[in-house]
Amino acid sequence: MKRPGKPLPSASLHIVLALLDGELHGYALMARVAELSDGAVRMGPGTLYGTLNRLVDDGLIEETTDRVTRDDNERRRYYQLTTDGRAVAVDELVRLQGLVHRIAAHLPGGATA
Amino acid sequence: MRLYQGLLCLYPRRFREEYGADMVLLFTEQLRDGPAPRVWLRTAVDLTITAPTCHLETHMHRPPTSFVPLAIGTVSVAGLLFALVGGSSPGMVGLGLAVAAIAGAVAVTAWRQNRTVAAAPPTGEHWWRFLATGVAVLVALTVVTTITGELDSWSWMLAMVVLLSGLISIAAGFVLGVVHLAGHHGPRAAG
Repeated sequence: MKRPGKPLPSASLHIVLALLDGELHGYALMARVAELSDGAVRMGPGTLYGTLNRLVDDGLIEETTDRVTRDDNERRRYYQLTTDGRAVAVDELVRLQGLVHRIAAHLPGGATA
Repeated sequence: MRLYQGLLCLYPRRFREEYGADMVLLFTEQLRDGPAPRVWLRTAVDLTITAPTCHLETHMHRPPTSFVPLAIGTVSVAGLLFALVGGSSPGMVGLGLAVAAIAGAVAVTAWRQNRTVAAAPPTGEHWWRFLATGVAVLVALTVVTTITGELDSWSWMLAMVVLLSGLISIAAGFVLGVVHLAGHHGPRAAG
């Protein structure tokens, strides 16, 4: 379980945020992260599965086991947030929103993000 | 594809058995959707960073996130040293500089992947201290060796260790400074 208050590393953060919408398999997850980051974060296979491995160990995500049969490739493994993982993802969102608001408040002229 | 499957042997066996097939599938889909040279380049950097990390994690529960970037950064410094000190021909100097440049780029990429979003690594904020310390060490070494004159073998070895420490500190300061300043001046999201 992740220690409370410690921000997630970049790759983990993007993965848990991408999974907020629901379960995804590896390639869809990678594409979703690239989309969410506007193309700035493009994970290779090692980064993606290394990070998934750590997040599974930490109990933040889990492999989907009760999935109904799909039309797509059944060899794929799907991942979803656990209850703890969703709480951590929401905490990270709140942290980032707070950060943006604090920075925006200190910008010259009170500009907003 | 077989080449990539072969390269997966660089990962620990347990990791390979758990995720190897998924990684090959993902790589295949990346090749299908993107230009092969770019996918291969990105995958090579990815493999250079993640394979050592996975091996570390088999021996340590959760190694510090800065360990792999610093280890690869040390290889970069070693390449630079080789070019400066051990390069006896233009080819060797070029080889050392190439190792330094490639390992340096990979170290920066690894650092960026491992850092937390919106929270600068504490050491990153003090990059100038590494730089200043390294310069101070080199200046001190120059002064001391100028005063003492010719060195015996032990003093020479000690001087080399100090020289190496100073260069590593300067390199660490440079890498941390680039990462830190890139965080301040990097591209901003639209909107």
